[in-house]
Amino acid sequence: MNRSLLWRGLLILAVVGVLAWSAYPLDEKLKLGLDLQGGMHLLLHVKVDDALRAETETDMDRTVRLLRDEARIPGATARRTSVTGFEILGVPGDADDRVDDIADDYLGTWTWRREGERLEFEMRDEYAAEVRRMAVAQARQTIDNRVNEFGVSEPVITTQPDKERIVVQLPGVDDPEQVKELIQSTAFLEFRLVDWPDGGAGASSVEEIMAHYGGRLPQTVEILVEEIEDPQTRQVVGERYYAVQKTSVITGRDLKNSRSERGEYQQPVVGFSVSPEGADRFGQATGENIGRGLAIILDGKVVSAPRINARITDRGIIEGSFTLQEVDLLVTQLRSGALPAGIEYLEERTVGASLGQDSIRQGLRAGLIGGTLVILTMLVVYKRTGINAVVALTLNVVLVFGALAYFRATLTLPGIAGIILTIGMAVDANVLVFERIREERRKGRTVRSAIAAGFEKARSSILDANITTLIAALFLFQFGTGPIRGFAVTLMVGIFSSMFTALFVSRWIFDFVTGRKGWAERLSI
Amino acid sequence: MEFLQETNIDFMKYRRFWVVLSLVLVVISVLAIFVHGKLNVGVDFAGGTQLTLQFQQQPEVDELRSILAAAGLADTQIQSFGEAGSNEVLIRAPLGDEGATAMQERILAAFDERYNAERSGLDLNRSGRDGVASLLDRLDPEGVLEGGGALAESYYEGIAESILDRRQELGIFSSWEQVAAAEGVSPEILEALRENASQGTFALLGAENVTPQVGRELRIKGIWAVVLSLIGMLIYIWIRFELRFGIGAVLASFHDVMVVLGFYALLDFEFNLTTVAAFLTLVGYSVNDTVVIFDRVRENLRLTRRAPLLEVINRSVNQTLSRTVLTSGTTLLATGALLIWGGDVLRGFAFVLTVGIVVGTYSSVYVASPFAVLWEELTSRRRAVTGKGAPKAAGGATGL
Repeated sequence: MNRSLLWRGLLILAVVGVLAWSAYPLDEKLKLGLDLQGGMHLLLHVKVDDALRAETETDMDRTVRLLRDEARIPGATARRTSVTGFEILGVPGDADDRVDDIADDYLGTWTWRREGERLEFEMRDEYAAEVRRMAVAQARQTIDNRVNEFGVSEPVITTQPDKERIVVQLPGVDDPEQVKELIQSTAFLEFRLVDWPDGGAGASSVEEIMAHYGGRLPQTVEILVEEIEDPQTRQVVGERYYAVQKTSVITGRDLKNSRSERGEYQQPVVGFSVSPEGADRFGQATGENIGRGLAIILDGKVVSAPRINARITDRGIIEGSFTLQEVDLLVTQLRSGALPAGIEYLEERTVGASLGQDSIRQGLRAGLIGGTLVILTMLVVYKRTGINAVVALTLNVVLVFGALAYFRATLTLPGIAGIILTIGMAVDANVLVFERIREERRKGRTVRSAIAAGFEKARSSILDANITTLIAALFLFQFGTGPIRGFAVTLMVGIFSSMFTALFVSRWIFDFVTGRKGWAERLSI
Repeated sequence: MEFLQETNIDFMKYRRFWVVLSLVLVVISVLAIFVHGKLNVGVDFAGGTQLTLQFQQQPEVDELRSILAAAGLADTQIQSFGEAGSNEVLIRAPLGDEGATAMQERILAAFDERYNAERSGLDLNRSGRDGVASLLDRLDPEGVLEGGGALAESYYEGIAESILDRRQELGIFSSWEQVAAAEGVSPEILEALRENASQGTFALLGAENVTPQVGRELRIKGIWAVVLSLIGMLIYIWIRFELRFGIGAVLASFHDVMVVLGFYALLDFEFNLTTVAAFLTLVGYSVNDTVVIFDRVRENLRLTRRAPLLEVINRSVNQTLSRTVLTSGTTLLATGALLIWGGDVLRGFAFVLTVGIVVGTYSSVYVASPFAVLWEELTSRRRAVTGKGAPKAAGGATGL
């Protein structure tokens, strides 16, 4: 065996060896797409306007306070005009200098101008963009935390910042509705003092509360509802109402930690501890209001409103008619923090594991049958040289799977179709070479020179043909999401591996076989 | 076995006929798409909700349809799905203002009312892990929660998980024996479940919800992908060969896409993301096939500069004929296997490629080459009229 033949042989062995090794065992090394292993794909839109609106309202309140306190304009009032704008009324015309001072010192992220009686404030574009970006980043982080706490294995969460979108991929999830709820709920927890009725019992109707206040609610109070569930059936069987103060004592942000615990009667409860600053406020409010109710409010609904029996500072429990699973969910949400903005689902795809199993089985069957037919065809048409093509084809399949495993690419159902297609098309390069060799033989060339000429002349055809297919695959990759990307990847991998096997491996086999004594002039093709 | 060796068929003789035939085919396809009542566009592009349900017994599609119609959901499509005996159906509905979740619930509620009216308690075929765990926690059939403690709390969650894993494998529970086979299910637990839970007659295997907004975006991206890849190939062939070959190859490929699209519309296959992938692959295959012939034309033109283009093309097509037939044949074997045995999800994909390969092979010979000749004639005639240089290698190509 000459040196070149040996070196090329070793190179082929190395490439095939590395890829085959990286793909073994196949069912562990190959990453399956959601469409094959089952799971959930979500595309969600972060309603960043929510975050902008909140930012605007915070700064609007601050501006009014500053104008009243620092700039001595007691008559200043404000109204929000858009998600990124508000207007101030009641500022006398000669006070513009003082407004400028305030704006320079405290409101660097805003521009303002006078429009007759009104001062119009508008958020600076760079800052608005920053708020948007932060909202998406924070939403992503929150979802990430929640999904991880929930215990999904290998979740993939990615952001598409330009579009304020987040892609969430969760393999093996069996309860889509619950996951959606987990992700979507803003989980905004507040503790607020109950104004009426005292002592932890709610009112049975809104009218009862209105009657207590003489038909007119105080400015600082609003009515919230608690839904009563039957502990056995989990159905909502009634409602209780509370007049609660609008300002909260502490919110979920003041919690240091929360966990699932058991209450007095072994019922599931949420235990929590409060951060030092929160503990000061919490201790003061509860200490001054012993005997009154403390409403625990989640996303605007009263969870429970226990009576304050003693001063509470840094730890406590939340009781409600919870199941263990609901407590776990709430703890997860409290730990992960509140979402900065609402979320809507643009696209959701759930595939059950049994559907994926069917797809794999059918794909495998089609691939085996198709592959066998192709192999038989090559053997019939090219006789013993056909074995060369069969070796190339087999290696090709090994290389495709190996490359997929090596690059941690995902195999999807269209990807399986791509591999089957590759089986059919991979022999094309062999066919081009073999046909060319036959032609050269008919011209009367010797076997060795016909082989050399065949490869030489077929090369440009093989290159051009494969590059055009590669162009299509590239655009496909660009266009596609999930499963389609998987297809584009297998197609591309297939193109490279079929060129490698046809131009390199198959050539080596020819050279090896014809290099042996007595074989040189007998070519079965 | 050698076949089609040293053939000498005059492929270009009736090129006028083939060009006209191809144009007619394209026109028929366009008519098929528009007159037949447009493409059967799936939820990927139209937006909407698509549910895959598995029933315990073979459902009557007509009956399902009338149930949904009675529930005010007339605009839904139902078809049976999967292999025979899998009892699966696919239900597609447009998204109203109410959104995907509400739509899904209405469909399931309508079937529930009809098929699961007598059922009571938790539906093991539809509940999630936490639902089953909650139920077991409440019933505590093995008495492990008496003492409390962390071990007991996660005990039933593990069992719920294993029950649902079993359901995931099966698709749907049809008997209590199947539940009993799940790991960790003791006779006590089974008994508790039999009394307090039930097995609904259908399970939701998969759901896809796409908002119209995303559908529109995907549609636009899909069209761009096909157009840009055609342009990309035109440019590549232009650089590697000549403009006339690029135009011929791209026209042939466009022809293939249109004709297959027509077949696709006529046979009412659903048009979805995977279909776009199939069409892009077809574009690649079709140009690939053409390029091999043009490669030979280029080689032959270099060898015999004097020979008329028509003659060179004819010779080249003949020389590559056995390769064209053989490669198309093996690829057809693969896509044909996919079409027959690959399952419902990939059927549309396999159809596009199977028909596409036949059409693409035809067009490589009878569309791409005549158009290259036609382009040659048009430009050389113009050159002759304006007197800008002599035509290159196209001496004998007269009259199309």
